[in-house]
Formats: sequence, structure tokens, C-alpha cells
Amino acid sequence: MRMKKFINDPKNLVPELLEGFTLAFPDRIRLRGTNTIVRATPKEPGKVRVVTLGGSGHEPGLSGFVGKGMLDSSVAGEIFAAPGAVKVIEALREACAGGERALLIVLNHAGDVLAGNIAMQAAEREGLKVKMVLTQEDISGEPGDRRGLVGCVAVYKVAGAAAEKGASLDTCLEVAERMERNMRTLAVAVRTATHPATGQPIFEMGDDEMEIGMGQHGEAGTGRMQLKTANETAEIMLEKLLADLGVQPGEELLVMLNGAGATALMELYLIFRRVAQLLEAKKIRLLRSAIGEFITTQEQAGFQMMIARMDPELTELWDAPADAPFFAKL
Amino acid sequence: MFAEAAKQIRREHESLSRLDCIAGDGDHGTTMLRTVEKLEGTMETSSAKTLNEILREAGWAVLGVDGGASTAILGSFIAGMGEADIGEESDCKHLAASFEAGLRALLKQTKAKPGDKTMMDALVPAVQAFASAASSGKSVSEAMKEAAAAARAGADSTRDMIARYGRAKFLGEKTRGSPDPGATSIALFFRGFSDALTQMKEA
Repeated sequence: MRMKKFINDPKNLVPELLEGFTLAFPDRIRLRGTNTIVRATPKEPGKVRVVTLGGSGHEPGLSGFVGKGMLDSSVAGEIFAAPGAVKVIEALREACAGGERALLIVLNHAGDVLAGNIAMQAAEREGLKVKMVLTQEDISGEPGDRRGLVGCVAVYKVAGAAAEKGASLDTCLEVAERMERNMRTLAVAVRTATHPATGQPIFEMGDDEMEIGMGQHGEAGTGRMQLKTANETAEIMLEKLLADLGVQPGEELLVMLNGAGATALMELYLIFRRVAQLLEAKKIRLLRSAIGEFITTQEQAGFQMMIARMDPELTELWDAPADAPFFAKL
Repeated sequence: MFAEAAKQIRREHESLSRLDCIAGDGDHGTTMLRTVEKLEGTMETSSAKTLNEILREAGWAVLGVDGGASTAILGSFIAGMGEADIGEESDCKHLAASFEAGLRALLKQTKAKPGDKTMMDALVPAVQAFASAASSGKSVSEAMKEAAAAARAGADSTRDMIARYGRAKFLGEKTRGSPDPGATSIALFFRGFSDALTQMKEA
């Protein structure tokens, strides 16, 4: 099928996207250089800066989470491709200007990790005070070999809140790592997306199929099956997540449902309804939830389900005020 | 040399993107095209004098391209080459040492090994072939010809492999049957290097 998208020159997708995005939120964000989104009003001196990086084409991720209480800057790459390490180094230099400290949050994808590691080595040579945390919570891979999916948003939230409160870099890192350790995500896809620069479908899928374990870029997963109902899909995915995280009755969970781009909110609420019923039956407390589109893959249909075990401190940080274009808490 | 590599990539970028559709998102050719354009632009305006400086500048130019893992790997390799002391002569032995330094720098960044169906499947044999040609006293252009042949053979060998690294890994068995686009790009780079040296010799 021919691509049907409102684009101009495929070569200019990312610059035009970032320009439009910053024009839409002039009170909150600015474009720095060609690819880095920063806060319109920088954080007060002495507080840890929280930085991330990642490919474009996943809007509102990742730059939509730049704002008070969350990220200080986000380095955007090309469509589905990590930014060059040089831009990440420049963002870290700017974040650390005047002797400030920074936490770099990187999703576990080969290109992102390479860019993050090369930037961290340069930061070390230059004496910048930066620590890096990797998010890798996708249970479709083996432990130690898992991708970073929508869980990064929760890590941005708690680390960003800790930083805003004036916590030290070590504390911000500890909070980020604790959130990361206690979260699990699983994705499902029912329809492919088109790469907006090449016009090619990212993967092939039959009309009556769904695939559990689909990656952020539409990398095919491993569990292809006949399309199921909302209830059945919720049950399959939640069971896998609860088992992997080892959740016991009485524990408290955050649940995030992240639409992939073409799945209606209606469907997400049908899924969420079943998740809530199942948790209640298992005597697991549904403490907080977030349902919507956080990190998308163009017009891919499907969603990511994320669960996270919360403790009182993580809950307090999750509840703390935030004012990013796509994540606000009063 | 980068100009000849650019020529190769420019000729093949559409087929590289088509290859990338099988196990990736179909943009490898355009990524590599952006990379060689950046390389050419950098070389045109460069004030670097020594080969070390040129390689470091070229490597960091590639590291500045938003190309995911491909440009991070290629950039680390080229910048790493610039860390070895090549000397003004750029004779075969010095160049071999430089390639090996590039590979060492790269191995600090990635755990991918030959057999994983990545760029490494072309890069590692090319560097080894160059080094063994250098130690047997061959000329730079002969050594580069052997390196280019080894890179091509390495890239072709990825056809029967299953991806075990990077994004394509999650496709498993489906990746068998077509060569890795990254390894194919590396083979094109070495082909370009070899063509450039042959032309220099003839000129």
C-alpha cells in the first residue's frame, strides 16, 4: 500500500518536526542547536540535570517530557535512529556548564547505547560529572538483553522529581535505577507502521494476526498469534508481566498503557478495565495508572503494557509536580 | 579515498535500503548516504594536516551523523584509526597498525563479534587481511585490494547468518537469506579505498 502521510521533503522530517514542536510550546521548550530540546526556563543552579537521547518518529517521546519536574534536555536523532554521539556530548557539556551534574537516561537499543557510551567517555575525559542509567524492561528478551520501552517515562518522572527537589546525583541515580529494576513492559502490535522517510512498511502482518513482544521500532517480536479480544489480550500480557516481576498479593503497582499510534483510547480503556479487574482478583493494589500515547511508532496499531512495583518514595516522586508538554502533574 | 567510498555508497544506497527492509527499517542506504556526504563536506573544508588529524576529524564527523548504531560504529572505527601513530609516510605497516587501532577502539564500544551478522563480519576480516598482507611486505594498494576482497567475502558470508546483535536480532530466523546491510556498506567502503589507491598508482 502506498504511504499516505502529510510530509514535505522526507530529508527534512526531523528539523521540521522539532521546529513545529518548539513553536507549539514556546513557554516551555526551546530548540538548542539542530537537535536538542531544552527547557525554556533552565533549572535553578545546583540541581541535577536530567538528559535523554533517542530517535525521532516516536512523538511525543522523548522530547515531550522535557519540562519542570522531568527532563532538562532531550537529544533527538533521525527517524528511528539514535542521534550522533557528538550531539549528545554537546548536550552533556551544556547540561554540566558551570559545574552542574547530570544524569543521562538511555533506552537499551544498540544505537542509543553506543551514542550514550561514546558521549560518557568524552564526558569523563572532560571531567564532566555525569552518570548514566540504562532502561531495559521489555520482557520479550532474556534478562540482561532487554530493550527499553515506555518505562523510560516513569524513570524520567521519578529521577526528574528527585532532581527538582535538589537530591544529589547519586540519589537521582539510585532512584532511577530502583524504578528501572522494578518495572516490566510488554508490547503487542496488530498492524504495521510505515517508515515516513522511506515509505516502506516496518514489518508484515496478516489481517487477523497480532504479535506480542513487538519492539519500539516495529522490530518483530516472537509471539505471533490470531487476533484476540481486549480481555484475552490483557490477561495474556498481564500474567506474563506479573510472573516476570514476581508480584505478590498485597503489593502496589503503577500500570502504564502506551498506545503505539493507531490504537484508539477506547481500546486502551477496555484493556485497562480488564487489568484492573484481574489485579483486584489477585489482591494486588492498583496504586497509580497512566493511559495514553507516550512513545509511539507512527501509525502502528498496538500498545505497550508496563507495570512497576512502587514503594512510598517512588510513589511520592511519581506524584510530585511536573510540567512537560506531554506529562503534567499539578 | 573517502571520495571513492562515497561513490560506491552513492551507487548502491538504494539497494542498501532495500536490504535493510528485510531485517531493519529500510533506511540504511539513506543513512550511509548522509554519512558519506558529511565525510566529503568535512574533507573539503578540513584544515587537518597529518593523516592522524584527518582520520580523527573524519571519525568525529561520522560520529556527528544521526545514524544510530551504523554511524557510531563507523565513526568510532575511523576516529580510532587516527589514534595510532601513522607517521607521514602512511606506509603499509603504519596503515595496518592504524586499522588495528580502529578495531581496538571499536571493540571498546560494542560486544558484537564476527558471526553476529553485523558490520563486524566485514570489518574484522578486512583489517586482518590488510595486516597479513602488510606483514608479508605487500604494497599498500595490494594490501587494500586484499582487504576489500576479505570485506566483500565477509559481507557475503552474512547471507547465511542469523542476526544475533542489534535491532535485527529480534527477527531471528527471518534474517537468514539476505546479507547484512551494514556489513555490505563496510565492503563498499573498502572497495572505494582500494579503487582510490589503484587509481593513484595508475596516475
